Amino acid sequence: MLKSSTKKNADRTHNAYGWLFISLALILISVFMFYPIGHSFYLSTMRTKGIVQQFVGLNNYIRLLQDPMFILALKNTFTFFLIQVPIMLLLGLIFATILNDNTIKFRGVFRTALFLPAVTSLVAYTILFKMMFSSEGFINNLLMNMHIIQEPIPWLLDPFWSKVTIIIALTWRWTGYNMVFYLSGLQNIPKEIYEAAEIDGAGKVQQFIRITVPILKPIIVFTSIMSTIGTLQLFDEPMNLSMGGTTSSTIGPGNSLLTLSVYIYNLSFKYVPNFGYAATVSYVIVFIVAILSFIQFKVAGDKN
Amino acid sequence: MKKTLSLLVAVLLVLSFVACGNNTTQPPADSEGAQTDKGEMSSENSGKLTIWAWDPNFNIAIMDEAKEIYLKDNPKVEFEIVDIAKGSLEQKLHVNLASGVTDGLPDITLIEDYNAQKYLQSYPGSFADLTGKIKHDDFIDYKVALMTLDGKVYGVPFDTGASGFFYRTDYLKQAGYEAQDLNDLTWAQFIEIGKTVKEKTGKAMLPFGLDDGGLMRIMLQSAGKWYFDDDGSINLTNNDAVKEAVETYKAIVDADIIKPTNGWTEWVASFNNGDSASVVTGIWIIGSIKAENSQSGKWGVAPTPRLNISGSKNASNLGGSSWYVIENSKNKDVAIDFLNKIYAGDNDFYQKILGDKGAVGSYQPAQTGTAYAKEDAFFGNQKIYVDFSAWMKDIPSVNYGLHTYEADAAIFNVMPDVYAGNLSIEDALKKAEEHLKNQIAQ
Repeated sequence: MLKSSTKKNADRTHNAYGWLFISLALILISVFMFYPIGHSFYLSTMRTKGIVQQFVGLNNYIRLLQDPMFILALKNTFTFFLIQVPIMLLLGLIFATILNDNTIKFRGVFRTALFLPAVTSLVAYTILFKMMFSSEGFINNLLMNMHIIQEPIPWLLDPFWSKVTIIIALTWRWTGYNMVFYLSGLQNIPKEIYEAAEIDGAGKVQQFIRITVPILKPIIVFTSIMSTIGTLQLFDEPMNLSMGGTTSSTIGPGNSLLTLSVYIYNLSFKYVPNFGYAATVSYVIVFIVAILSFIQFKVAGDKN
Repeated sequence: MKKTLSLLVAVLLVLSFVACGNNTTQPPADSEGAQTDKGEMSSENSGKLTIWAWDPNFNIAIMDEAKEIYLKDNPKVEFEIVDIAKGSLEQKLHVNLASGVTDGLPDITLIEDYNAQKYLQSYPGSFADLTGKIKHDDFIDYKVALMTLDGKVYGVPFDTGASGFFYRTDYLKQAGYEAQDLNDLTWAQFIEIGKTVKEKTGKAMLPFGLDDGGLMRIMLQSAGKWYFDDDGSINLTNNDAVKEAVETYKAIVDADIIKPTNGWTEWVASFNNGDSASVVTGIWIIGSIKAENSQSGKWGVAPTPRLNISGSKNASNLGGSSWYVIENSKNKDVAIDFLNKIYAGDNDFYQKILGDKGAVGSYQPAQTGTAYAKEDAFFGNQKIYVDFSAWMKDIPSVNYGLHTYEADAAIFNVMPDVYAGNLSIEDALKKAEEHLKNQIAQ
């Protein structure tokens, strides 16, 4: 009897200490996370012109569905997402498998070379790509000197090619980053499995498809979710390839590089500042990310 | 030990919160007091003026000049002139004005004319009303109109973006054209000349951003039209100037007389390295043209080509900006006094910045000074500023409204289809108008 009451007391003090210790973190999270989340939702029910606000309820969400610019931005974002992410992840997986082979020389050099782009600044590499892909830039000169093309390719001057350019740029920047995740995953696969497979007569390709990919599944899901989030928030590359839209009126030729995040920026800072509508668009990004992540978990994830 | 440490951390955190709270609430009250004190008590100005502007070779350099002149009579005033890229400056202004915290704001800021009404209407009460404090009658009308809202004038007009047709005299001569052949052209004539130049010299006539709306704005203002009616309602489909401008854009591209460029750097490079024979743009480009010393004496300026519709003049405008004072500035009176004495009263200052920087102000009393009448050796001894002053008087006044950049984006969203011939101009404008309507839905 006595024992249990002291235990209760001790529990209570423990609890109190526990709450005390996490209270600071809680306060900080509330101020810097929960409050902005709540407030931006409140904001998304407003039509704003700078500091002039008017409550419009869910009108912003209705307007969104009829806004051709939003739909265009959504389309562009999904084009990048559907084409670039699979290419990048597949490349990353292939590179990782090759570089995991002990018989290859200078593995460290290759790994570093592939990972290096991931530590360069987003703005710096985008500007570099802009220079390389200009109509008289390095890439066109190279291709013309090699007689692969006759006329310079209008990389950044044509709606189609500008999309190609940004996909190349993104792939260069992020493939190595994803490769590192796969590499660390591959180190955890016991060699015996491959040996057994070899004895059973499985070729390298079959080993890759039947062993590597299934075992790496959780990591593949993780990288694809990270890439999904990254692509939906794509901002630096289109912004800088189009020079922030300061000398051009659109983001890329015919708004071909307009992404959701750039649209949010334009709504807030380039056009008449409609922070309410911009908040609405950012909420939509959150929903899309949530839905896509859910699908990816369901399709490819483990039961647990 | 651990307990005391965590207690310390806790106390520090709480203190920092309190400090934050203080920062945001106190200063405005403080500053009001300080302001009235200064206004009433001291005749000599003191305090610190923070000024935001972009372009170190132009706006910043000119502001430095103004500072030096003002300091002679007001040695106690401190200046902090901050150079921020235009895009970043606008973003910073938006964030600070929207937050309602005035600490981060400068006392004086530069705002581009196309954006003036947007700031004035989006942040009412944030900019100082300068009606009666500055003699706005001395400035060119169209500049003053841009900064007027509900009968109050909020800024001090600065540079004009009066436009001209800058050309390489040597290339044009090679193609068989003299200066007198280039006066008062229409765009159709311009394109014909461009074809000859391309044929005879192999050079492109124009550096041309396929998605750059600058030239279109020049064309529209030359006709006294804009993307909107005077009352601010969208007018794209029923607007002969817009239609003609889009047609001209397509004609220029189809004529194969352009060097397609992407962004400012490529655009400037194309005439600096001699790839293009001309450029049609605002007067502020003179600095960039002169940056290539080896081309001295090889340039000339002619009036801007006009659209082939009635009312279109051979004079237009691109860009230009003006100074604004922040209403809650601690040194508002000093800021206004500074702008008033230098930018709205100092004739010599305008002569100096014109001579040094090629800056053409919109302050009319200064437009008869000695620097204006000077021959410019770079432009083959042409009296270019006399010419520009004359053209400036013809620039049609246009109400840019709030949504210039939205309209620009809507039009250039469909331009690739127009260039490729996938859309007729009527359909393209219909589509653009639809876009724009949704974009600025009220």
